[in-house]
Amino acid sequence: MTSYVQRQEKAKFGEDRDAEMRLKNNRLGMTIFQASWIMVFLALIVVNWQLRFSYAQWPPEGVAPFDPLLPSAATLALILSALLARRGWQALRLGKLGVFLMSWRLNMALGVVFMAIILVEFTVVSEAALATQYGVTMRLMTGFHLAHALAIMAVMLRVYRQAGRGSYSGDPRDSWPVEGAVKLWYFVTVAWLMFYVVLYWLR
Amino acid sequence: MATQHEAETVRRPALSEYLRWSVDHKIIGVQYGVAAFLFFMVGGAMAMGIRLELWTPTLDLMASGSAYNSLFTMHGTVMIFLFIIPMWAAFGNFVVPLQLGAKDMAFPWLNAFAFWLIPPAAIVILLGYFVTPAEAGWTSYPPLSTLFSGDGQTLWALGAHLLGISSIMGSINFIVTILNMRPPQMIIWTMPLLCWAVLATSIIAVMATPFLAGALTLLLLDRVAGTTFFDASGGGDVLLWQNIFWFYSHPAVYIMVLPGMGVLSEVLSIHCRKPVFGYRMVGLSSMGIAFVGFTVWAHHMFTSLQPELRIPFMITTMIIAVPTGIKMFSWLGTIWGGKMRFTSALLFALGFMSMFVIGGITGVMLAALPFDIHVHDTYFVVSHFHFVLFGGSVFAIYAALYHWFPKVTGRMMNERLGRIHFVFTYFGFLFTFFPMHIVGMLGMPRRVAVYDPNFTDWNQFISFWAFVLGFSTFIVVYNVIHSYFRGPVAGANPWRALTLEWATTSPPPVTNFDDDPIPFEDPYGYGTEASAAYLDAVDAAFSGGRPTPDGNQAD
Repeated sequence: MTSYVQRQEKAKFGEDRDAEMRLKNNRLGMTIFQASWIMVFLALIVVNWQLRFSYAQWPPEGVAPFDPLLPSAATLALILSALLARRGWQALRLGKLGVFLMSWRLNMALGVVFMAIILVEFTVVSEAALATQYGVTMRLMTGFHLAHALAIMAVMLRVYRQAGRGSYSGDPRDSWPVEGAVKLWYFVTVAWLMFYVVLYWLR
Repeated sequence: MATQHEAETVRRPALSEYLRWSVDHKIIGVQYGVAAFLFFMVGGAMAMGIRLELWTPTLDLMASGSAYNSLFTMHGTVMIFLFIIPMWAAFGNFVVPLQLGAKDMAFPWLNAFAFWLIPPAAIVILLGYFVTPAEAGWTSYPPLSTLFSGDGQTLWALGAHLLGISSIMGSINFIVTILNMRPPQMIIWTMPLLCWAVLATSIIAVMATPFLAGALTLLLLDRVAGTTFFDASGGGDVLLWQNIFWFYSHPAVYIMVLPGMGVLSEVLSIHCRKPVFGYRMVGLSSMGIAFVGFTVWAHHMFTSLQPELRIPFMITTMIIAVPTGIKMFSWLGTIWGGKMRFTSALLFALGFMSMFVIGGITGVMLAALPFDIHVHDTYFVVSHFHFVLFGGSVFAIYAALYHWFPKVTGRMMNERLGRIHFVFTYFGFLFTFFPMHIVGMLGMPRRVAVYDPNFTDWNQFISFWAFVLGFSTFIVVYNVIHSYFRGPVAGANPWRALTLEWATTSPPPVTNFDDDPIPFEDPYGYGTEASAAYLDAVDAAFSGGRPTPDGNQAD
């Protein structure tokens, strides 16, 4: 929650809102948001599935299947990135700011590796694949996911910079942006795992 | 001489408060309500244009069939996306935090942001009407929406995207508010039924609306990026849109009706002075509708669906009549033997029951595959969904308006005008839409400006009553404006209701309650000495024991 929002609420309530209640609300709100927004990703999987039944085979005849090697490496990087984000969050709760910062540097570096690989995958789709829904849906799904990863990476970068300035403490009530960013990165990870299986393994 | 508390009842926010950014849920509720009602007037004017065109079997008002297509497309879009759904956000915003005894919604800033997405979305959608309008209906089926609609269709999809985001944010807010911000004395089984209904509605919205976002993204890509997701010649599938769109849009019907059902349980119990019959089953039936609502979408595709899938969807569609029937029987049980006060709110609630049951029965008829195929795309379908969405949602909106207007403004609405409004609306609606069943079964197709001259008499009859229905809206507009300035002071609890929104001044102060309010043990426990004592205490606290505007009520 930004200070602007808190100022808005202060103007109404005369004092800061109950921090415990705000944390409880933020956590439930994040859970519901994740459950809700994952449905867009599920919708795109439905799109992929329905369109693949328009063809006699998948990938369509004359189109080479996508090589899962690089995406598998990207997936591994993303999972490690999410684990490091969690490790950093746990360290922050124990008051170990140095461990948090180190974990998040690695987390973001791996996140960038993931995005770079997926960007390459997005751009090198063959003309033959792009002439069919096989390539188009792949671009749709990876592009959609990449946009989310990029946005949440920006959130994590902001959290990292704020943490470096000492804005967060070990008290979860004071460090919601960190917890929120971690949970959003989990979301990106889970969404990618679904796409990864559908795009590269289910044929 | 007015007491201090009576003076409080007339303290209202300045009108300018409603025109700017505010994080107060009550201001936001009114912003939603006024904006939605303005869109109702716009959509209603379009409906009048449709009925005027259909006065004769040939094109006269419209320059072409395309112009007519654009008109009904915008009518449906405005009524669904800009009127009914935001209108329930209005009542939810104003009433739910008060019923929960909360100071505000869980995320006040997000709440304001969700509202302020609506005006730009509306501008984008309506702007489309003045360029090259969308003409694929509010359902926007490809290829009509991809190959045969102008740039207005692109703007339509962009606007709908914004509205979807607004809806998701608002719904997350409702769910968190309802689950986290109840007072300790209010367990989920003593929560007001409007809150149950808003909770179920919000669950539907957060789970279904993202599918609309997915569908709209594909539509936009097909229109502006050259993809062919819905074009069979490019390997796409037109049924893809129908599947994804209806996975959102059928549950959206319940988004539009469930809050009205919650309103009905409130209004019937309070104005009949009876506990809600089968409270738990009513709450659970809201959840049942929310759940089963996700399993019925393909009944909109009976004529294009694979044959082996038709029967399962026919069965699920019929099953959803069960939780709906539970509500209907609960309402009947609630009013049975009650001390009915025929206020305008109760009249509209009873109007809802009589109309919605027709919409429900024709829904079961349409669930039956052979009948559905017979009347597919005819006026029977138009009649059915208007009985659900006007006979249901709009009647409930009017009931809610008459019921909560005193709390919002501190003034009572004029009951005589309310009853006149009800009579015009009831008969205007009934005689507009009931005959459509008949012309539909006789074979008149929907979405046509030119029709068989044999249907002329029916259409003139329908159009006449549609104009009566349109006129009825001006009565309520006058009543609202007149009552806002000249209505009698309402006091805190004019209906002697037990739910918490009535245990504070009208309108409530900025933080809603001066102290943490204590809810009565049963929100609908009318007719007991304990409830009478609670209501007397509320009266004494806020009105100095002053008689309520319609006299002291027996409990």
